[in-house]
Amino acid sequence: MRLLAPFALLVIVLAAVVWLDDTPTEADLVFVNQNEVFTLDPQRMSYLQDLRLAHALYEGLVRWDNYDFSILPAAAEMPAISDDDLTLRFRLRPETRWSSGDPVTAHDFVYSWRRAILPDTAADYSNLFFVIAGAEDFFRWRTQQTAAFVADPWSDPDAPEARTVRAAIARLNRLLEATNLPEAIAPPSDDDLPAIRAELDRLLEAAETGGPSLAIELASAARTRAWLQSLDDPACRAAEAHWMWRRAKQRFHETVGLTALDDRTLEVRLRQPTAYFLDLLCFGVFHPVHRPTVEGWPIDHLNPPSGGRGGGWHAIEPPPFEQRRWISLSPATGKLEQKHEWAKPGRHVGNGPYLLAEWRYKRDLRLEKNPLYHDAGRVRSDSILARTIEDTNTAVLAFESGQVNWLADVSAEYQSDMIAQRRAYELRYADELEALRLAGLTEDEALASLPPPQSGERRNIHVFPTFGTDFFSFNCRNMLSDGRPNPFAIAAVRRAFTLTVDKQTIVDHVTQLSEPVITTLIPPGSIPGYDSPKGLPHDPDRGRRELAAAGWEDRDGDGLVEDTDGKPFPVIDLCYTTNTPRYKWIALELKAQWERELGVRVELRGSETKFFKEDLKQGKFMIARGNWYGDYGDPTTFLDLCRTSDGNNDRAYSSEYVDGLLEEAEQERDRGRRLALLEECERFLFQEEVPMLPLCQLVQVYMYEPGRVTGLSDHPRLTQFLWQMEVRKP
Amino acid sequence: MIGLILRRLVQIPFVLLVVYTMTFTLAWLIPGNPLENAEGRRPPEEITQAMLEQYKLDSYWGFYWDYLGKATGASWVLGQHDRPFDLGPSLKHENWTVNEILLAGLPVSITLGLTAILLACAIGITAGAIGGMRPGTWADYLTLLIALIGISLPTFVIGTALLVAFSVTLKLFPIGGWGGFSHLVMPAITLSLPYAAYIARLTRFGMIDQLESDYVRTARAKGVSEMRVVLRHALKNAFLPVLSYLGPAAAMALTGSFVVEKVFAVPGIGTHFVDAVLSKDLTLIMGVVLTYATMLILFNLIVDVMYRWVDPRIELG
Repeated sequence: MRLLAPFALLVIVLAAVVWLDDTPTEADLVFVNQNEVFTLDPQRMSYLQDLRLAHALYEGLVRWDNYDFSILPAAAEMPAISDDDLTLRFRLRPETRWSSGDPVTAHDFVYSWRRAILPDTAADYSNLFFVIAGAEDFFRWRTQQTAAFVADPWSDPDAPEARTVRAAIARLNRLLEATNLPEAIAPPSDDDLPAIRAELDRLLEAAETGGPSLAIELASAARTRAWLQSLDDPACRAAEAHWMWRRAKQRFHETVGLTALDDRTLEVRLRQPTAYFLDLLCFGVFHPVHRPTVEGWPIDHLNPPSGGRGGGWHAIEPPPFEQRRWISLSPATGKLEQKHEWAKPGRHVGNGPYLLAEWRYKRDLRLEKNPLYHDAGRVRSDSILARTIEDTNTAVLAFESGQVNWLADVSAEYQSDMIAQRRAYELRYADELEALRLAGLTEDEALASLPPPQSGERRNIHVFPTFGTDFFSFNCRNMLSDGRPNPFAIAAVRRAFTLTVDKQTIVDHVTQLSEPVITTLIPPGSIPGYDSPKGLPHDPDRGRRELAAAGWEDRDGDGLVEDTDGKPFPVIDLCYTTNTPRYKWIALELKAQWERELGVRVELRGSETKFFKEDLKQGKFMIARGNWYGDYGDPTTFLDLCRTSDGNNDRAYSSEYVDGLLEEAEQERDRGRRLALLEECERFLFQEEVPMLPLCQLVQVYMYEPGRVTGLSDHPRLTQFLWQMEVRKP
Repeated sequence: MIGLILRRLVQIPFVLLVVYTMTFTLAWLIPGNPLENAEGRRPPEEITQAMLEQYKLDSYWGFYWDYLGKATGASWVLGQHDRPFDLGPSLKHENWTVNEILLAGLPVSITLGLTAILLACAIGITAGAIGGMRPGTWADYLTLLIALIGISLPTFVIGTALLVAFSVTLKLFPIGGWGGFSHLVMPAITLSLPYAAYIARLTRFGMIDQLESDYVRTARAKGVSEMRVVLRHALKNAFLPVLSYLGPAAAMALTGSFVVEKVFAVPGIGTHFVDAVLSKDLTLIMGVVLTYATMLILFNLIVDVMYRWVDPRIELG
């Protein structure tokens, strides 16, 4: 019986643990995130589920109307724009407050945007801020400033390249030119200086020529080594890091076009007129953060001074770095190091319609109405619960059992069956629906006013086209990664492969989601005032002619095409990712269509996302799947993808004409002419060049009861504001 | 006994160091950049570089020593870091430290795993004892059949079936989440079934063996009641193989609950482990692996100690 004792004890302990764990709470609106939120720091966001929360926890200067994507005032009134379209002046609403009670000031925006531009923060979307005058230069300047501080040709035996020696030279020059250097740092004395310079020059020469001489030079560079070692003293490094940071701040305020004219007025100067700048400002990464919160200032430092006074944190002297909890200056890298643990319930401070009430990792995140929000009347639900359910099947079951009001991302394998049930329902009430639509009801209202679905039918699944395009990339490099010539370097071959694809079959029978097929890159109707031209149609005969014109014809009658020398078309390496079955199915269908229509051989290569991305970067593919979601309401958010210098130009596509048009559009201030230039760019790209084969507009599948859940927008940019949503009691 | 425990405890740091080095090397070799958005865009090269430097991901040894120092508390002792045993911030979920994630998830996984093992013992031993007492009868075949099903049906099938039946149709239990007994019932049953099946078979064969042995015949001859023979004598000895299975089983139930956690949306660390590897969240991978390794070592130790406690004749090295 001595055996039973430990088991009994275990039972008691387990029971206690279960009792102690609090039960999940109810909320007015419950929705499911398939992935846990990655960050609540707006400057570091890049995922959809994070950005959705950015609109709940923070408020930018202006905001979208998410039904038509016009711009509305938010934390500020609509800006006064100068005649040259370069300077915008925002006046903040006097009544906007942080959830801590501090007023929201222009300094908050300067601080938050500086944070986003600083390379120290490493924000995904830093480059969106580069439209602000001086921002890009500042970003590069600070990158070099810290790189020169870190680089030490003697610390890493494998490192001594020209870059590190040059950095040492830069650091020497910087310290020599510096005024009011901290005492801990001593530039070389006048006696040492010529010797050190000579040594560095020799090192640089040795590093640039390479070979063994560098090691010899290194060993003999005694004076430089002694001087650099004197700088490596921790106190000295810390002092230099602080000094660098002061210079960076000063430089930011001198060179970057961002000024807080007073507590309520923010002036932004742009690099060049940017038609979509206000649209950018609505994006979550431009939302402000509360500096004392993200830096972790001690509580007694804030109270009482900033609580009541008009200026907020700006009116008081910031505490020294040692007292700030979440930010520090690293003596090793010279950079600001930020921790992100401030984004937790109880610590988090925002200026949006909701407060972060609770957040449990991979369980749920609870929002509650912010009583200090300036337009609290607009907020429809008092509390919102975002539950994390990673398994898409479980999420659907949770919805079916009524525990969840809205599924924002349905990807169950049987979703096409559910969509077919929805079609069956619509078909039965086709006439009634048409009449209700004509009477001016929205789709949801019309559906809700019909009798409930019978078995085998449903009305709670919704397919919405998004601001994204699914495509397949052609490798446009002249040579393949293994050195063979690349047939897809020729535009006619790319056209041939595009013309032969029957996209409608793919969306109807392969993906079974009936996504709108697309012949260009930009989803139609998503950008006000812009109409995409027509791309290449489905025309297999023309496709074969194009391929023949490029020199690929079936010369020996074996059903496969050969070039003039009789060499067969290389076996096509078609790459896709295996994280969802979708791309395998599409790739199989493409293979069948191309082999049937063009007489080529296609080999499929599926790989895990990380391996796939690596291959893409190195150009190890002939045709590869791809997709793109737009970030802001302008054609360039898509077309920039085809710029020679773009970091996401996986195809290595390059055309002077396209680059020139994009450049010209950048300078063009007349909106109509500008859009015409971009239209020509898209026409040229997708009628003649086709660096990628546009397949269809990506769709998002939602589940919610129409009429019960309100406030969702079906605009292709598919941005939902949680504060606008509400669950009506039946 | 004390010596055994001490010896094992002294071994722990060395085992963990080996585990750390091997896991870290393997995780480092996963291609890709953990800080990148897996789908879609790549930030400009300079930003990627800045991100890597920020988390010391630009150098293998830099990360290795830095993390080792922070995780063991050595950096804290030396005054280079503000807290001991810091497993770092999650690279993917930067608002969370790995310590916080483990503290939130570990109790959930342990509760689920141990409840499942207890359930498995209760079901398995009962079924095994019944079957073993009357081998060849319909009751025996029934338990064998159920055991066979329990072993061969994958947990995600059982889990989904339970969800559809009891949550969607009968609305008895909530779907997903954690907190309170109602959330525990279905995942624990699902997780316990394969173990219950195995335990049932072990017990059954043990019982058959013991009931034919001499001491049982002697006991019966002395007129001891059948109940007492089975419970007091045969079952106790038939339980020994089960006990030695319980150590690895408990460890497996704690670490291998990934599928069950996924199907029932239970916020335990089993799912974190798999997701961390998929997204190359180095700090989280290391944190979870080190935690699991420590747990495995401790469980084996506990089972060894219990084994000896139950049967003092056993010598342990």
